[in-house]
Parts: sequence; structure tokens; C-alpha cells
Amino acid sequence: MKPRRLRNVAAQTALIPSWLIVIFAYIGTIAWTIRISFTSSGIFPHYDWVGLKQYDRLFDSHRWVVSVQNLAIFGVIFIVGCLVLGFLLAVFLDQKIRGEGILRTLFLYPYAMSFIVTGLVWQWILNPTLGIEQAMHAWGWSSFSFDWLARGDRAIYLVAFAGIWQSAGLVMAILLAGLRGIDEDLWKAARVDGIPAWRIYLSVVIPMLSGMFVTALVLLGIAVVKVYDLVVAMTGGGPGISTEVPAKFVIDYLFNRQNVALATAAASVMFVAVFVVVGPWLYSQYLRRRPGEAS
Amino acid sequence: MARSVPQSRKITFTIIAWLVALLIFFPILWTFLTSFKTEGEAVAVPPHFLFFDWTSVNYEQVWDRSNYPLFFLNSVVISIGSTVLGLVVAIPAAWAMAFSPTKHTKDVLMWMLSTKMLPAVGVLVPIYLFLRNVGLLDTRIALVVIMMLINLPIIVWMLFTYFKEIPGDILEAARMDGATLGKEIVYILTPMAIPGIASTLLLNVILAWNEAFWTINLTASNAAPLTAFIASFSAPEGLFYAKLSAASTMAIAPILILGWFSQKQLVRGLTFGAVK
Repeated sequence: MKPRRLRNVAAQTALIPSWLIVIFAYIGTIAWTIRISFTSSGIFPHYDWVGLKQYDRLFDSHRWVVSVQNLAIFGVIFIVGCLVLGFLLAVFLDQKIRGEGILRTLFLYPYAMSFIVTGLVWQWILNPTLGIEQAMHAWGWSSFSFDWLARGDRAIYLVAFAGIWQSAGLVMAILLAGLRGIDEDLWKAARVDGIPAWRIYLSVVIPMLSGMFVTALVLLGIAVVKVYDLVVAMTGGGPGISTEVPAKFVIDYLFNRQNVALATAAASVMFVAVFVVVGPWLYSQYLRRRPGEAS
Repeated sequence: MARSVPQSRKITFTIIAWLVALLIFFPILWTFLTSFKTEGEAVAVPPHFLFFDWTSVNYEQVWDRSNYPLFFLNSVVISIGSTVLGLVVAIPAAWAMAFSPTKHTKDVLMWMLSTKMLPAVGVLVPIYLFLRNVGLLDTRIALVVIMMLINLPIIVWMLFTYFKEIPGDILEAARMDGATLGKEIVYILTPMAIPGIASTLLLNVILAWNEAFWTINLTASNAAPLTAFIASFSAPEGLFYAKLSAASTMAIAPILILGWFSQKQLVRGLTFGAVK
């Protein structure tokens, strides 16, 4: 009995470094961030108490409101776009086509590029004075005009588009693995009954892949909350403040405007928002496993 | 048993799929081609696709005139250093959770993974101020540690899914034969765990290599990796189009090459083992 107990003690000891790191790096920093958001800190944090003053200022700030709206627009288009395009690509690749291995890699390649490179490349291509527009003019289509990147009311859609280009391959890879797991008999049965393929996909296959869709959704959601480098590389938040996002807001107030308290208030709002969205999902995961699972 | 797809439909799908692939791959290809053009050629209207004078002058200039070698070295040190450090911390933890699970193991894993969903900006403020106070801003060592912290949940989770697949019976048998804990780890566990560890290493090097949020905000010049270097070009106005393409190509080439060999592991890792 003794060696076994030794093993268990060793095992629990082995967990300690990870625990300490996660507790320090996440819980500690979050608690500190929330605490500072209730102060009047400037360049340096100090520990007075001004209540919700920073939050009042935050929501009075036009730029913050624009940032939040942009995040919502980006998030919806990006997630829906990635799921739809990723699913279509996966269905294409599941048709026993030639060169599937190479195609899969090509579809996935954008994902191996950082958001920085993604943003830069698309910035060139979509830039009205450099990219597609000039090429079209040179090829004789002189009325061609595509200046969304320079338009405050449209640029955010292009940012979302570049994001979809980068991440759709990941969704494709996840869903393709799911499609491969589907029983061939399903297709035979469908053919015998004369049901068109698109109906099978819509009413049988997609529900069967719900687990894969959730995994993809969580990964895309993480990317939405994190979105920063794509915007920095592609538009720098412009034109004007039209493509600002919350993460960039926090960083600008931290570095350029030297207002730690407002930056932490904005970050705290993001924490709460993520918690409200992710909390129920985690809770359902937790509950679903409860009844009689050993490990 | 292969599903039979009608020949005509198969050809249609193949053509469409290749066209889509070309469309998706085009920006990467275009960057690559532009990097071999002169600056004048790069902004030529109409653009020349393949028939231009190929030149390597951009690569030479980027290499010689900027601090490119330093940025490259920083990328290598930060991505590999943070991954190795992460493995040192994570291997014992994943091993413990996979082979001596308690009834809370799943919760612990879930909880660790959920930290990945938190917005990084919230964690940035205290970490930035802390580094500033101790004078570690813009140092490689700080970046190595920070990147390790950021990726640790993924490393633990990935290793856990790989370790889980090692049959516990073999370890049990070794114990029956009187193997000590040390021998068990060195002779049995390690050889079986190497492929999983290698995949984890690969994925995290790629993730750390591409990470921009932390590197842009915590470095200035000394410890800045390639992502920060390229980000500093973000308003080229057509002046350094070709050179920037060369720099970008050099920045993404290692990842594209690694990615070609490791796409399966990449997908598996990115989905936390949900996709095998």
C-alpha cells in the first residue's frame, strides 16, 4: 500500500507548479486589475477608492462605445463566416476529390500565419491606391471601385473578412474530422429514399456534428475576445476610430494616455462580459458530466 | 467501405475545391512573389504575375540593413525557450492527472483551459507594471516566462490527452515487476510519451512564434521578435512593399514549413485533443 500512496503524493506534488502559475498568472492578476479599476490611478497605480467613477467615464467615452460595437460586428461576422465557410470547405473535401491532402494543407495554411501578417497582406491587397482597385483599373475596368478600407463605415467588415480568411481553415479541419466519423450507411439510406444531399447535411449531418461546432465556436470566441493584432496591422484602428476594438482601447489608455485606472476598468468590463458568455457553457459542461462519471 | 460519389460530381467538386484553394492561397503566394521584385516592379500597374526580373536584393537588404538577424534570434529564443520551460512545468502535471486521476482532475483541466478564454488585456496591465518595476521590460527572459504562462494551459491539456492514450496496464505491469517510480518514468513512460511531447512542442513553438499581442506590448527593440518587427511596418504606403514582403516571407517561412509536416498535430493541438 505504501508505494501507491507515495505515487499519489508524488502526483499531487507534480501538480503544484502548474497550480501556482495558473493561480498567480490569472486569478491574482485579474483580482488586481479589478481592484485598480475602482481607483483614480494615473501613470502609476495607487490604492484609493473612487467607486464606479472610472466605469462612468468609460461608458461616456464615445471611443469605448465604438470599440464595443465593432467587437460585436466583427464577432458576429467572423464567427458566422468561419463556421459557414469552414463547413462548406469540409463538405467539399469530403467528396473523395483528388489531391485532398494538399488542399487540406492549403486551406489550413492561413491559420499558420500570424494575424499580423494576415492584416498586412490584406491591407496591401485592399488598399485603394495599391491593390485590387489599381489592378482592375490597369486591366481596363476603370469604373471599378473598392475603397472600403478607407471608409469609416465599412472598414470593420474587411477586418472581419481577413479574420475569416485566416481562421476558416481551422473550422474546416475540425468539421472534416467530424464528417469522417459519420457512418457511410447514412448516405446509402438517403440515396435509397431519394433524399437530396443538401437536406441530409442540413437536418442530419449538422446536428450530428454539434460537438465539433461547439469546439469551433469556443476557439473562434477566444479569437474574437483577443482581437488586437489583426486590427493593428490592418487598419491601426482607423480611419479615425472606426475600427477600434476594446483590447486596443485598453492598451492605448495604458501606454499612450497613461490612465491605468480607466484601462483596468475597460479590461474588467471585458472580464465580466466573457464570464457572462463562457460561464453558462462551462457550467453546462460541468453538469453534463456529473451523473456517474468515474474520472 | 468507400462512399461512391458520381464521377461527374467528383470532377466538379475537385475543380471548385482547387479554385477555392487557389483563391485562399493567393495572398500568401502574392507576398512570396512580390518579395522577389524590385520596389518599382512591386507597385507596377498592371502587376506582373511571373514575368519580371527575379531578384534577391530585398532579402539581402532586409538582412543587412535592419536588425533582422536579431529579431529572428529573438523569435527563436522566445518560442523555443517558452515551450521548453512550459514542458518542464507541464509534464509532471499532465503525468499526474493522466495516471493518478482524482475525482477533481477533469474539473482542474477544464478550469485551466477556461483561463485561455479570458481577455489577455486584463492580465496585461499588472504584468506590464510588474515588469516595468523590476526592470525586465524588453528582455528575452521576461518574454520567455510570459509566453510560457500564456501557453501553459494548452501544453498541460495537450500532454494530458496524449498521456491518456498510454495504456495504464503497461505501467501496472512494470510496477508488478518491481520497477521503482524513477525507473517507470525513465524506461517506460518517457519512450511512449515522446511522440506526444514532440507534437506539443511543435504546436507551441508555432503559437509562440505567431504571438503578437504580448510581444508588441512588452518589447521595444532589444527583445522584439519578428511579429513586432513586421508590425512596425504597418503603414508602408507602397514604399517598402517588396522589402516588407521579403521580411514577411522570412517570418512565415519557418512556420509554413513546420506546418506542412505537422498539420495533423496542429489541428489536434488547437482543438485540445477534440479532433484526433
